[in-house]
Amino acid sequence: MIGLPANRLCCLLLLFLFVPAVVCGAPVTRTLSTAEPGAGEVVTVSLSIDGIDLGGVVETLPAGYAFAGTDHPDDRVVVRGQKIGFAVMNETRITYSVTAPASGSGDITGTWEDFLGESEGEVAASHVAVDGIETAAESGGEKPAAQEAASPFAVLATVAALLIAGRGGRR
Amino acid sequence: MKRLLLVLLLLLAVPASAADRIPGDTDGDGVLASGEYASAVLAYLDTAYMGGAGDLDRDDIRDAAWVYARWDGKPREVVDSSGQTVTLYRPLRRVVTFSGESLETLRSLGFDMDRVVAVDKYSHEKSTFFPECQNKANVGSIWSPDMEKVISVQPDTVFLYATISTAACDDIQQRLEASSPGIRVLRFDCFKPATYADEIRTIASIVDETERGEEFASYYESTMDQIRDGTAGIPDDEKTRVYFEYWFDYTTVAASAGYNEKTELAGGKNPFAVGTAEYPVVDPEAILVADPEVVVKLAGQGLAVGGYAGHDPEALDAIRSALVERPGWSKISAVKDDRVHVIHSDILGGAQHFIGTAYLAKWFYPDRFADLDPHAVHQRYLTGFQGIDFDLASEGTFVYP
Repeated sequence: MIGLPANRLCCLLLLFLFVPAVVCGAPVTRTLSTAEPGAGEVVTVSLSIDGIDLGGVVETLPAGYAFAGTDHPDDRVVVRGQKIGFAVMNETRITYSVTAPASGSGDITGTWEDFLGESEGEVAASHVAVDGIETAAESGGEKPAAQEAASPFAVLATVAALLIAGRGGRR
Repeated sequence: MKRLLLVLLLLLAVPASAADRIPGDTDGDGVLASGEYASAVLAYLDTAYMGGAGDLDRDDIRDAAWVYARWDGKPREVVDSSGQTVTLYRPLRRVVTFSGESLETLRSLGFDMDRVVAVDKYSHEKSTFFPECQNKANVGSIWSPDMEKVISVQPDTVFLYATISTAACDDIQQRLEASSPGIRVLRFDCFKPATYADEIRTIASIVDETERGEEFASYYESTMDQIRDGTAGIPDDEKTRVYFEYWFDYTTVAASAGYNEKTELAGGKNPFAVGTAEYPVVDPEAILVADPEVVVKLAGQGLAVGGYAGHDPEALDAIRSALVERPGWSKISAVKDDRVHVIHSDILGGAQHFIGTAYLAKWFYPDRFADLDPHAVHQRYLTGFQGIDFDLASEGTFVYP
């Protein structure tokens, strides 16, 4: 935080305001080792699971990104194209690796089910872009409902952040 | 045309109710091992989200998870009150109850009432007590079951009585088992003091609510034990003489009637208990000769006032007034001592019999049961176990005075 200019602080504040509203209460959350990998770099994806004893998670990778392995037992993982399915059996964390393409951006999306709790939902989307460069590449799967619901907030946050950043830059 | 429709429904119902193995038990050994469960999950995820083609649907995998987590991957065997052993390979998901007492017990146990898909006509009519059942299918009664309706809701489990109306219940069971292989028919009474505590625990085991079942069974037993303990050791000739009148005038209860059992549990002595008829009609003169110390009049279905359906103490008062004004009754001890009471069958005839029996005990032996508060027992049952918003201070009328 040391040395952060005021406009960046404002950006962070906006993110804190909006991002938790999207993911609040979700039993499965995703974190990435980096959202801007270099070409061919391996991104570590961690799924944090809270309150699901027996369930499942299906992750969908953006086109071009490739599943590269997981710490989850082999007999609890299924891979089909851009989709990876995990059987959740009392785990609180699942980590898997994704190899970034030479270029490309998109969202990692996910769906979870709690079989005992008889509920299901979406894992909030995580955006990745090789070297931070946005491309027109489509996500590997359909856009989830939760992501659609979150989009206006994300757009608002992004626009606000850009405006502030822009004003800061002109000073 | 109707028969054709029934046959069609039968054909449609068979696959839905075929529940003779645990989903995911691929080797068919009757146990869902960890590896089998994990494979089942992956097969389901692949089918549901990844473009694969498998057999397991969402209910299948949820049932598999239930059996794996709660039944240690094994089927659960239960012995119901008719003595039949029923093997459960899946939890109860689509339940039909032909018995309001079983329905009420399921609710006491915290069973998800959304899983009850159809109920008997009497429970359907009880809009105050079973408000959540108003939109469920009505399958009629055990004496006049609507089998087409039963089959159309594709139940996996049907509750019937165990030891009453056995011919009617046997017939329904046979028809269900013939039409829907794998359907679970469970038979419980849920109104008999001798067996209710055990039935609570067995049903709790079936729906995997053993902790709640123990809590409820203990609550039930604490009231019944207090009554039994309070009346234990009273010599027969010192027991309170009770004339118990059924809904209909001068109709009493004999030894084989459930109401007589509760009267005797509460320490009452019924001078008309002898005889083969369950509800014998008595000579009015015989009541005067018997000189009961307490009179209990039953209100309810055949004398439809009060109960959960309405707050109407005046109506029960009118019933009581009519009793004490009967010819010659002014000489009866119960009338002279102001010990004539009206009680509604809602709290004496079914799963709530422990509440009504507590009232009887208090009326028969006010000193022995000074600490027993049937009103409080009733309110806690409604609030703590039935989970319904019903304030006895302002709703319903169950006893008078």
